[in-house]
Amino acid sequence: MNRNHYNFDLNGLLKKVFFVDLIQGLFITFHYTFSKTITMKYPDEETWIPYKRFRGLHTLNKNKEGKELCVGCELCQKSCPTQCITVVPMQDTTGKGIADRVAYRWEINLLRCMFCGLCEDACPTEALKLGREYELAGTSMQRHLLTKEELLAPQAVPAEFEGGVIVKARLGTDETGIKVVPDMSVQKRWW
Amino acid sequence: MIELLLIGIKVVVVTLIVFALPLPLTYIERKVAGHIQVRLGPYRVGPHGILQPFADMVKLMFKEDIIPAKADPWLFRIAPVIAMVPAFVVFATIPFGEKVTLPILNYEVNLYISNMDTGILYILAIAGLSVYGIILGGWASNSKYPLLGGLRSSAQMISYELALSFACIGVVMIVNSLSLVDIVKAQSGWHWNILYQPVGFVIFFIAGLAEINRIPFDLPEDEGTLGAGYHAEYSSMRFAFFMLTEYVAMVSMSILIVLLFLGGWDGPAFLPGIVWFLLKVAMLIYIIIWTRFTYPRYRYDQLMSIGWKILLPLSLANILITGLVII
Repeated sequence: MNRNHYNFDLNGLLKKVFFVDLIQGLFITFHYTFSKTITMKYPDEETWIPYKRFRGLHTLNKNKEGKELCVGCELCQKSCPTQCITVVPMQDTTGKGIADRVAYRWEINLLRCMFCGLCEDACPTEALKLGREYELAGTSMQRHLLTKEELLAPQAVPAEFEGGVIVKARLGTDETGIKVVPDMSVQKRWW
Repeated sequence: MIELLLIGIKVVVVTLIVFALPLPLTYIERKVAGHIQVRLGPYRVGPHGILQPFADMVKLMFKEDIIPAKADPWLFRIAPVIAMVPAFVVFATIPFGEKVTLPILNYEVNLYISNMDTGILYILAIAGLSVYGIILGGWASNSKYPLLGGLRSSAQMISYELALSFACIGVVMIVNSLSLVDIVKAQSGWHWNILYQPVGFVIFFIAGLAEINRIPFDLPEDEGTLGAGYHAEYSSMRFAFFMLTEYVAMVSMSILIVLLFLGGWDGPAFLPGIVWFLLKVAMLIYIIIWTRFTYPRYRYDQLMSIGWKILLPLSLANILITGLVII
């Protein structure tokens, strides 16, 4: 390219003199100033409901008649790589035999659990599911040793709910730890 | 006697207001920054984060005041005060409006502390002193980056103070007075100086941004290359003094632009003059914050070449043309 050849660029000069590009830039940021923000107001006002595939806190399920699905087969205990599940099946103390085999004790140590989901895969009756609760921080070790009764309690997010939305929430804090309580009535998409 | 008392009251009121101004300004700046970047900004302290500046203030007060072992202790302590005092002293000649009559006492009060005949000269001279605090702070820290920040600040101040003053001269030539009250009075009835001195206004605005160390000219506290520049070693309230200086300088620069070019308290009669004045100042502060989050920072050599090769010749030409037109 011939360096001595010099094109006088009037358009470019005028653009510089009247700050055209700079003013265009200002209008872009002005537009963004009044656009909708993408910040999620977690945990005070909003929370994220994960998809169905999410592996959170364990849940034990019941069937439609309200009967426990767990049959105390101990397969979850055997499949657990970290050995954090303890299952003790119901003992026959009456001598007449029991009609339904259920778990007598079903305990999990969340401090050791790594949420791999192998117990869920091993369960033959689909009684054990990894749910969608993930705010598991607490102030005492005791909070992380959960028993059957706590896992059978109904969940805030229904199991059949698709997930992947932001819902209104309330930050509930007590002496054992933090819990964000979702309010499923107000939902919005993330994008 | 009552005159002296009034001046005392005005000094106290103005000082208190100027001291309190950085509180809303930090909040507004962070909110505007957040929304420009499609975030929310401060949100959790109080409704919509409105109490955030108070939380910041309490935090700054209770921080440990660290003086580096190798620093010059005396200079290190005095530098923030040297930076802060000129920023406040500038307000002695700034007029906020015309005479108002106090409602109950039925006594006329001027809305300025003093009406110096050489108002602009005084403000430019005093505002230039503020850079000594920055240089001394950088020097006394006995650390590489603060020293570089201080040096940059002095070089920047020298190159842009000239263009700033020359841009003022055009206005002074039109108005034939150095007094700020006279300058505003000469602009009443929509004869705003921005219409007669558009080039002067642009030069003054750009040089003013450089003078108060705002982006795109905030090289003394360049986070990218200098850590935090001249206040890298400062913590606690001494750091807060530097921040205070910066915000007060932003306010006084906006006020100066309004007085010199945008007609001061001149405006349609349905609002009182002081309201127009405050609205214009608020708009300029918003523009300064807005530019901060729009433009990247200039490189140091670019800064120098803009100052010496473009702004200074332009301002000289502006004076020349203004003189020719007046003759």
